[in-house]
Amino acid sequence: MKLNRYTLAFLLLSPAFNMFGQQELLDQLDAIAPDSTFTVQATFKSTRIGIGHSVETRRKGVLEVTAQNRFWNRPTEETTQTFAADKYNGRYELAYGVTDQLTVGGAFGTGYTSIDLFAKYRLLYQKPKLPISISLFQNVVHREKNPGIYSRELNFSDELAYTSQVLIASKINSNLSLQLSPTFIYRNADKLIDGVDPSSFALGFGARYKIGRFVALTSEYFLVDDPSEDITTYGPFSLGVNWEIADLMLQFKLTNARNLVEDKFIARTFNNFNFRNGNLHFGFQATYLIHFKHSNRLEK
Amino acid sequence: MQKITLITLLLLTSLGWSQDNQYATSQGSVSFFSYTPVENIKASNDLVYSLLDLDKNQIAVRMLMRAFTFEKALMQQHFNESYIESDIFPKATFAGVLENFDAAAAQQTCLISGTFSLHGENQQIQFKSTVNKQGNSYVFSGDFQLQVADYNIKIPVLLRPNIAKTVSVTFNFEFLPYEAE
Repeated sequence: MKLNRYTLAFLLLSPAFNMFGQQELLDQLDAIAPDSTFTVQATFKSTRIGIGHSVETRRKGVLEVTAQNRFWNRPTEETTQTFAADKYNGRYELAYGVTDQLTVGGAFGTGYTSIDLFAKYRLLYQKPKLPISISLFQNVVHREKNPGIYSRELNFSDELAYTSQVLIASKINSNLSLQLSPTFIYRNADKLIDGVDPSSFALGFGARYKIGRFVALTSEYFLVDDPSEDITTYGPFSLGVNWEIADLMLQFKLTNARNLVEDKFIARTFNNFNFRNGNLHFGFQATYLIHFKHSNRLEK
Repeated sequence: MQKITLITLLLLTSLGWSQDNQYATSQGSVSFFSYTPVENIKASNDLVYSLLDLDKNQIAVRMLMRAFTFEKALMQQHFNESYIESDIFPKATFAGVLENFDAAAAQQTCLISGTFSLHGENQQIQFKSTVNKQGNSYVFSGDFQLQVADYNIKIPVLLRPNIAKTVSVTFNFEFLPYEAE
């Protein structure tokens, strides 16, 4: 084999060879540069999975404006429709990210005339070495009561109810996230009714599965343990679709829960989930995010 | 005999017979801008790693997608979750060669060509970089344009007016001498 020096030079400088060397330098760089230690992002896209709260909190300086509602028909034959459905329940919420970990919010509910305040604190973030995220949720709701059934006249604090939750979630892969939500509910007013326990326990199960880059299926169920024998309740169930369009998040769901505040819909859902009038509720939720702080911060 | 000489030479060049003349940075910055009438999107990453080999006139760059910071937290989330899919493709890399590079020049413009790998897609790109020699460091800076469509990044119809088809990328790296361990 005879090689002249031009062939040799050509071979030495051939692009294929350069590529090989470049990859080698990249491999050397990969060995030096650390791997990603960033926390797992977007376990859920919204601060709610469907009906209940998700482990997510809002970033600092972000205001979340939410309108939630439920539409359902009455089981009676008579037509009482006002707007597409017989009955309507709405709740309008503002929530603000005080820090990346702490979100506080308040809401006004129309159907049952309630005012509620809540705080959610992100305790743990899922990381490459930690498979779960944990948030703590606490709310208090004031709801006007029908005075007839109570043993005495109600004052303001009698009309309060509290919900505490530990939200434990894991993003299994980029499409599937699961959540477990141990819940404790306490209703002050129920102390004034014989045979009714003011406290309820529940265990929430939630999941989302992404079917597109902006669309996810969600489902939630709460297993409720209510010590009161006189009251028959059903676990609230929801099946929905979340659709994210830039700053707007739309959530559509079918559920048996007609109420929109945790103490009521978790522990006091009186109808089972099926497609009969009075039981099937169509839920719609729109969430709009407004960024007040433009911080350009690097997350942990 | 000539065969052996050839193979030896090839091996020597490919393996790199000297690693003394390497330069590195762990704080290179890369920014990108998308300008549309609807919305301007800016993001920057100041934790870009890069190695420069002046014996072989080669450069390698690696950046983590999650290290890009945005004006709005939600933009950052969409970028990672829905466009770049940083769960699956956590980093972007560039491996290239410096053409017409003069290690001794105080200031020069050098042509860099190589493979840019982003969102699982490899593209051959070529761009100019200004190089300033300051003491024992080299500062590379410049900009180039990226076509979003080249990298299999799909933008939903509703959001097409918000994101530019061509994104401009600017970079700035200050390389210091590096001793491989």
